[in-house]
Amino acid sequence: MISVSTRFTSCADIETFAQKLRSEGGPASKLVRVCIGTGCSAKGSRRLYELFCEAAKQSGQDVRVEAKCVGCHGFCERGPIVVVEPGDIFYQRVEEPDVAEIFRETVLGARVVERLLYEDPGTGKKAEKANEIDFYKVQERIVLGNNGLIDPTKITDYIAEGGYKALAKVLSSMTPDDVISEVEAAGLRGRGGGGFPTARKWRSCREAQGSPKYVICNGDEGDPGAFMDRSIMEGNPHSVIEGMLIGAYAIGSEQGYIYVRNEYPLAVEHLKMAISQAREFGLLGKNILGSSFSFDIRINRGGGAFVCGESTALMASLEGRTGEPRAKYIHTVESGLWEKPTNLNNVETWANIPAIINRGGKSFADIGTEKSKGTKVFSLVGKVVNSGLVEVPMGIRLRQIIDDIGGGIPDGKRFKAVQTGGPSGGCIPAEHLDTRVDFDELTKLGSMMGSGGMIVMDEDTCMVNVAKYFTNFLQKESCGKCTPCREGLAQMLYILDRITDGEGQVGDVERLEGLAELLEVTALCALGKTAANPIISTIRYFRDEYDAHIKEKRCPAKDCRGLFRYDIDPEACKACGICLKNCPVDAITGEKKVPHVIDQEKCTLCGTCWEKCPFAAVLKV
Amino acid sequence: MAQDNKIIEQIVDRYDADVGMLIPMMQDLQAECGYLPAEHVRCLSKRLGIPLSRLYAVATFYSSFRLAPKGAHDVTLCMGTVCYLKGSGRISEAICREFRVEPGGTTRDRLFSFQAVNCVGACALAPVMVVDGKYYDGATPDSALEILHKLHPAEEAAETTTKEAQSD
Amino acid sequence: MPTVTIDGCKVTVKKDATILDAAKKAGIWIPTLCYHSAVSSDASCRLCMVELDRGDWRQLVTACNYPVRRDIVVYVSSERAQQARSGVMELLLARAPESQELKALAERMGVYETRYPKVTESQRNCILCGLCIRVCEEVIGQAAIGYAGRGADRAVAAPFRQPSEDCIGCGACAAICPVGTIKIRIHEDEQEVEISPFKSRAKLLVCQECGALIASTLVNEQALTKANLNSEEFRARLRLCPKCRRLQTVAQLGAVTFRKK
Repeated sequence: MISVSTRFTSCADIETFAQKLRSEGGPASKLVRVCIGTGCSAKGSRRLYELFCEAAKQSGQDVRVEAKCVGCHGFCERGPIVVVEPGDIFYQRVEEPDVAEIFRETVLGARVVERLLYEDPGTGKKAEKANEIDFYKVQERIVLGNNGLIDPTKITDYIAEGGYKALAKVLSSMTPDDVISEVEAAGLRGRGGGGFPTARKWRSCREAQGSPKYVICNGDEGDPGAFMDRSIMEGNPHSVIEGMLIGAYAIGSEQGYIYVRNEYPLAVEHLKMAISQAREFGLLGKNILGSSFSFDIRINRGGGAFVCGESTALMASLEGRTGEPRAKYIHTVESGLWEKPTNLNNVETWANIPAIINRGGKSFADIGTEKSKGTKVFSLVGKVVNSGLVEVPMGIRLRQIIDDIGGGIPDGKRFKAVQTGGPSGGCIPAEHLDTRVDFDELTKLGSMMGSGGMIVMDEDTCMVNVAKYFTNFLQKESCGKCTPCREGLAQMLYILDRITDGEGQVGDVERLEGLAELLEVTALCALGKTAANPIISTIRYFRDEYDAHIKEKRCPAKDCRGLFRYDIDPEACKACGICLKNCPVDAITGEKKVPHVIDQEKCTLCGTCWEKCPFAAVLKV
Repeated sequence: MAQDNKIIEQIVDRYDADVGMLIPMMQDLQAECGYLPAEHVRCLSKRLGIPLSRLYAVATFYSSFRLAPKGAHDVTLCMGTVCYLKGSGRISEAICREFRVEPGGTTRDRLFSFQAVNCVGACALAPVMVVDGKYYDGATPDSALEILHKLHPAEEAAETTTKEAQSD
Repeated sequence: MPTVTIDGCKVTVKKDATILDAAKKAGIWIPTLCYHSAVSSDASCRLCMVELDRGDWRQLVTACNYPVRRDIVVYVSSERAQQARSGVMELLLARAPESQELKALAERMGVYETRYPKVTESQRNCILCGLCIRVCEEVIGQAAIGYAGRGADRAVAAPFRQPSEDCIGCGACAAICPVGTIKIRIHEDEQEVEISPFKSRAKLLVCQECGALIASTLVNEQALTKANLNSEEFRARLRLCPKCRRLQTVAQLGAVTFRKK
């Protein structure tokens, strides 16, 4: 095992070191990989890792056993995840008592513990390896490829898997213009939501006057329901660092920043370790790999503000000010951080760069659609059987993601809509499930790709409530600088509150549309400009729900309190009396063995009986 | 001010008095004191040469900053889309009603500080509640209240905010 | 020097001048609220929206800070631009219904009422234009007040909502406030000036002759240091109010008898 850290002084050093690392790992070694991403950690996977380490130490067998902690596999729903090599045996929902069994049976005994394998809910078939599971089968994991394989806290793991090879290639045989051309050939577009052509941005920054120049990694992933960047920063931080190094070289920058949102402490920790190790190995600092290129990275944490995901707000935050966006009549590539030329890209965008250099831009462009190349990581969450992170080629149909990978809707419910693009995006109904996912197609439908959040909703979701949720979110996160966003969101929320409270007025939909149009053209930044998208897209596809709320004071999805009734199903009611006892207005009557009845006149629609009934006999009508 | 100087000096030195690192400095101050005491903020303002009005603007702009001492325990409820669709809104209402506290505030008896955040990135575990760094998945109004009622005021609350020992 | 064709009228301006500059030169009025020539423009009120010709489409931009770098065509009176401006004004009228100045500006724009109810109030009668903050920081150099909070709850306040230690009681914020929210109050008995609503106070200079209240002592300190007038003679003159100073000067010429008390 290589324990002494090496300082690379030339590009060739990396390949030599990588080969040495690869030959060190003997074919007989057994390896247990335990995921310690936030999702699995929350379910106690760190303890599992400790237990496996102990077991490995004590095993005292001739065969060398090693336990390794790895980053997020993406299948968080099924965590904690443990993979045993050789064999790539994929265990899910592992708990502490299982450790001994896994160790004894699989690690030492090469036998499989059936009950911990993934079982397909439809066919009942068990999968031994990850690539036998539908969730993973359809994926094409370029960015997430090393997640779950490498220990994110060890730079040697990254190097052994080919890490920093792209940097060596760039510094030894490519000019900055060569690099930009390669990224241009790849057709990479920003993965943070803007979808702006990355090469074009780099080129503009390269040509801008002024020095020093800065590169920034936007790790402020604020869209609720999206955790792609978290998983990359936690599980493979070096891919981001390598990407930034290559980008900085292309642009002519010597100083980079990674801005991580405050709510991701593990990502901050792993990035800090990665930067520190990269410095040790001479991959960050002065005269990297013996070239004249110097570059270093600083980490800055967000303070808890969604608006700081906006590039000018982020830069204001990096300057120690409040995160208020500013006009972009002068682009940030010309005048950004400290009024210097600045290139900002999203985590996933940076993470794609090493792959593009390694396999070549043209090869990257072979994946995807005409205008949207490569893959995209989506966080598929909500009312879907398999929820987690999926990386798929652009152009895949929405239906494939939700059904083939996601396994469809649980509990026998019907699909209603999928919300993409976070608070700036919109809801897409069933009739468009055959749409090919790419930047332009989603925008045409009134939504957007955004950062990759994909929230699945079923028949029990009230779409007006969804619009209200996002409007409320944005209103709280609005920086307050410009009139239309600050006042307009408050006005839209006021109307939506009225509608969901049963006090909607005829003309409310038109009022919302008017405000939406006003915000789109007058707001200062993208937050304000796109703030009404959730409202407009739900009006577009679910107008009937708005009408029901306003004209009939009825919530078709039976979600908005007060806009639907409760009734007791006489066939299911066991006359236990719990509802009767808990009703705050004594609206329920019934004796022993007689199905209880709700007096609709007295009922305040509070929902307590529905919550408390142990037999699900209270129905929403 | 002599006492304050030590904490502030340490923090300012850690970041080479770089005004761009104001937010990490304030985060370190909050990690140290549990909140942002006014006198320390004034001292920081003088030390860095930044107007106090700007520090106050920053302290009140970002959700993670507290200007009042926090409770013995830290309770965070995720209000991200998925958690919300799975009922975290009702959990929040229950907590507010039961303990007479608002999101962003602290209970009167200083038992716990309650924060509603946008997304902790663990959507498969929705609804998520974090108490003193410990994650509870699949929370319901009942289970949340049960957990909170078990909190002891006298208990040494675990320090939940990571103390940043040194800058990168 | 780029040419701006604004509502058909051609004017040339210096590079990086704004559309508003061009409009002024052309004699075309664009309503503004958060703009003031004495301070920086951050285009936050969004009232000065105009249409910029982009060839196959028109972009709505703010006139007060859009830098002119090449020949452009701008429409101020187009329907879309007018609607945008009116929409913003209606939102402002909803927020601050009491301000007479705001109503007057609205009427000049042709907006006589707002369709929106009042749903926000973080600070009475304040439209959060930020002019007070910017004048205090950029012109006076004190930065005594700033924003507090975020979003609809945002307000302008002194740090910790306490009277500011940095306020010198000059009243520049009151002078620049376009909606008449900030007021200077003189407290005769305490010989202090108060800036309302910030509750900041400063002691006033008292005329040694007649006892009239002159100006904020702090303002005078600042003026003395900034203008480099530290001479004893000047300081002596400051002990009198303007009226008494005039009397003293004229008395020296023998025109009147000036009896010192």
